[in-house]
Amino acid sequence: MNTGPARKSGTSSYDAIIVGAGHNGLVTACFLARAGLRTLVVEKNGHVGGAAVSLSLTPGWTYSNCSYVCSLLRPEIIRALELPKHGLQVIPYEGGATFNSRGEYFSYSSDHDALRRELTRHSPRDAEGYELYARAVMRQCRFIKPLLMRTAPDPVRLRPRDISELLYIGKRFHGLGAREMAETVRFWTMSIAEFLDQYFETDIAKAHIAGSGIIGTGLGPYSPGTAYVLLHHYMGEVDGAIGAWGFARGGMGAISSALAASFEASGGEIRTGSGIDRFVISNGKASGVVLANGDEFHAPVLVSGMDVRRTFLDHVDESELPAEFLKGVRRYRFRGSSAKLNIALDAMPEFSGAPKDARFLRGDLHFLDDMMEIETAYDDWKAGRWSQSPYVDFLIPTQIDPTMAPPGKHYATVFVQYAPYELADGEWNDANREAFANTVLDKIERHSPGFRKLIVHKEVRTPWDIENEVGLTEGNIFQGELTFDQLLFNRPVPGYAQYRSPVRGLYMCGSSNHPGGGVMGAPGANAAREILLDARRKMDLGMATTDAAE
Amino acid sequence: MSAIFDAIIIGAGHNGLVAAAMLARKGRRVLVLESRNHVGGMLGDAQFRVASMPSPLNPKVAKALGIKLKSHPMQTIVAAGDGSLTHIRGAMVSGADAADAAAYARLHESLIAKARALSPMLTMTPPGLDRTGWRQWLTLCHTGMNLRRLGKSQLRELMRIALSNVHDLVLDEMPDGPLAGAMAMDATLGGAMGPRSPGTVLSLLYRMTHANAATGPDQAIRHMPDGGPQAMIDALCAVVTQSGGDIRTSAAVAKILVEDDQACGVALASGEEIRAHQVLSNAAPATTLIKLLGPGHLDAEFVRRCRNIASRGMVARLDFDLAATPELSDGSAMNQLQRLISTDGSTAIEQAFDTAKHGRLPDRPTLESCFDPGNQRLSVTAQFVPAMPDGGWSTGLRNQLGKTVLATLEPALPGLGKLVQACRIMTPGDIETGYHVPGGHWHHGEFRIDQALMLRPFDGAGQYRMPVRGLYLCGAGSHPGGDISGTPGFNAANAALSDGGK
Repeated sequence: MNTGPARKSGTSSYDAIIVGAGHNGLVTACFLARAGLRTLVVEKNGHVGGAAVSLSLTPGWTYSNCSYVCSLLRPEIIRALELPKHGLQVIPYEGGATFNSRGEYFSYSSDHDALRRELTRHSPRDAEGYELYARAVMRQCRFIKPLLMRTAPDPVRLRPRDISELLYIGKRFHGLGAREMAETVRFWTMSIAEFLDQYFETDIAKAHIAGSGIIGTGLGPYSPGTAYVLLHHYMGEVDGAIGAWGFARGGMGAISSALAASFEASGGEIRTGSGIDRFVISNGKASGVVLANGDEFHAPVLVSGMDVRRTFLDHVDESELPAEFLKGVRRYRFRGSSAKLNIALDAMPEFSGAPKDARFLRGDLHFLDDMMEIETAYDDWKAGRWSQSPYVDFLIPTQIDPTMAPPGKHYATVFVQYAPYELADGEWNDANREAFANTVLDKIERHSPGFRKLIVHKEVRTPWDIENEVGLTEGNIFQGELTFDQLLFNRPVPGYAQYRSPVRGLYMCGSSNHPGGGVMGAPGANAAREILLDARRKMDLGMATTDAAE
Repeated sequence: MSAIFDAIIIGAGHNGLVAAAMLARKGRRVLVLESRNHVGGMLGDAQFRVASMPSPLNPKVAKALGIKLKSHPMQTIVAAGDGSLTHIRGAMVSGADAADAAAYARLHESLIAKARALSPMLTMTPPGLDRTGWRQWLTLCHTGMNLRRLGKSQLRELMRIALSNVHDLVLDEMPDGPLAGAMAMDATLGGAMGPRSPGTVLSLLYRMTHANAATGPDQAIRHMPDGGPQAMIDALCAVVTQSGGDIRTSAAVAKILVEDDQACGVALASGEEIRAHQVLSNAAPATTLIKLLGPGHLDAEFVRRCRNIASRGMVARLDFDLAATPELSDGSAMNQLQRLISTDGSTAIEQAFDTAKHGRLPDRPTLESCFDPGNQRLSVTAQFVPAMPDGGWSTGLRNQLGKTVLATLEPALPGLGKLVQACRIMTPGDIETGYHVPGGHWHHGEFRIDQALMLRPFDGAGQYRMPVRGLYLCGAGSHPGGDISGTPGFNAANAALSDGGK
């Protein structure tokens, strides 16, 4: 990892400067450097990675402090930037399960036959329903995947490129055929609960799947639009297995350090430890950045990996921005709803609902009765409380990746939905942070008696903490809600959805842009393509397989 | 038996009557069959009206039927929990903070403009996803040009908010309160979505299209015809009968008759069989297709989709017979051209929705009330109430609903409780049984993008023509949707007419 003191270089002027060494910033940086631009990345923290980091907070253990599983990172990017060569290894994980309060469990498996048997155990109809469900979701994944690495068209300005892009989408859409087109419209707009009700009857099975429809959002499973969020979590892949999830060996930080290594291998420079004070704009053009520590760097191309609100309200002089754009930025919705517990465990916990050493324990575990329990958790969040019976996405990566804990010990990552950014009764503080953690631990303890006793160390990250440590406004893990008013050509602000800001030379590459959040890298790659387009250079995605850098 | 009628219309709701009138005026021999003992469907009769506050017939429909019904826009009065009143006429607000009033006016006008631009699509058969006829292209181009005329920034705005939620839309412009609540109310009324549910802006835009009937600044989505809702029913019936059509009440249809995949008439509950070339059903889609037609005539996927129509009703209707005209908290007597909305704001509506969502009765439901001086009757629409409350709709719960509603009204109508002489309550369950709408949704199906246009009521049934030749849907379950507008009946009749059927 790049935690050492920043290496100084002779000059202070570059072709391009990227602010924020999150995964998207690094992806943009890599592509710009590969295209021959002298590129600098500045990062406020002492380490790169943003929300894709692995930090050691207690001796012997490494946490994936924020993001914790890997699937969405676009394979095109992995290949083009030779991330495996630079140390990235993604290990797919098996299974997953949901335990309900009656001591029953539903286990998921990537082995189709095993999954079918398990579904049949609960309901033969659900086993049949799953076939339809899986095909429906797969078709949607196939439809959306090519759109991820493209720039969204502007349906209002309608320049030639917008028209051709619209035609491309229209052609693909029409290619689905009448019935699928209708299904697509419904899928993209309906609620995950209703979508699942079409195929399944078993509450616990529905509850298991429904989680993917609400992770990271300020919506409930019964809110229209959540079926799309499920898609957003399923459109990833591991080694070509669509929808599969895996662990980055050594934690999510491995992705960032591989990106950093790839970047430096193509001559890029990273300066950690000092964040930006402001983007310097002289007569309407971007000209450089001033860091908090006073350092000043110049470049005609500035790229912000920060979310859109932070970028333009905190680090750009408002007088440089059109009023309508500012209104859009102020209106842009974050609404952090997720929290995270990272727990160092003295031993592998046991689950009363599950046979010992069950395979499915290596996957994501949930403790739920039905979808209404998630909806209720959402209602708590709306009222400004953390969920009294929260939805947790619980994994123990060390079963597959032992590098993250001492031999025989384990690391548990506990993602929690929902926790508000602002509590109805006052600010987050150590007291209520602990109370929140206890709510979560109580729920786990109910299904894994003795869990608490195994805890060696724990880290609690509320949305407030995520904002302050990582820089994600209101702790929203997607750099902004994934609702339709903030997707495609509406993301982040209508009319500015093509990675360019109103200021010439100032670009946006964060997840605030299409196609949005998740450790995907697509916004970063798309931004790089637009930047190089303006610089009349080509992006070397095509050379991905044969590229022999340096 | 030889076919006597050209078309049978099942259900004498306003859409059924509009369809019948359309066909009759084109010289078709039509028969309208109504299971209840009165015509008008949810517009009701002297005893009870589900739709006590109609919205105006779509101008195109009224014109086609030669109906000139004088109607008056209803003024909106928003009452907060403390009894304070805010008056709204179209975009004009009085009794509110000046800045909020201005914000409300801006938002209202921009929404009305967008709604007007979209309104040509109301009276078209939705384009098919696979193929689109030249007429539909024409309408789409017309709509497209309207939209361009809105200007770039308005168009961007429309594309941003179209699938968004009304809560955010309104609170971006003004603080939460009665004004915000009024708009959130219009967006969610009748549905099973709270203001924070994505898609509620679309239903608001749809409602706003009703205001197009009125011109000038005083654009209201609710209009009271001279002579009340009954005048509207009478006018429609007159067109049907004067054009030679027949209407029979207390004639419940038990079955739609089919011969070699062609609808050929209906069988009544009495056993009587009546033949016709075409059958148009104003009943809810599921009722028509599953109950009256029968799954046997349909393919399994079609039936599955039909069963999956989202149509959970979450409104109750209450009528209070009063001893005297109620007085508003400002001392003025309530008149028939006012609709009283009781809400504290969008957040309060969302809370009511959440409570009902979990099967409980909210302490302070959102209310839309109007007063009929003729019958000394206060008609109240209460949302949200649970469609299936824990333990069902017991007498106790009904009484509790009545008490809750009166308590909610009290601040705006002081002393109302003492005036009440009798109370009639209609729960979603009663709407389900009384009007044969599965789920008790008074629009025959939730209005959402996944149940709109060619997807209303569901994919494959979205263009009025059913898989069985000669069978059509002409009710609110079809495009464009619910409320009193006559457009589904109008469009279905046009589809039936273009198919010949003689």
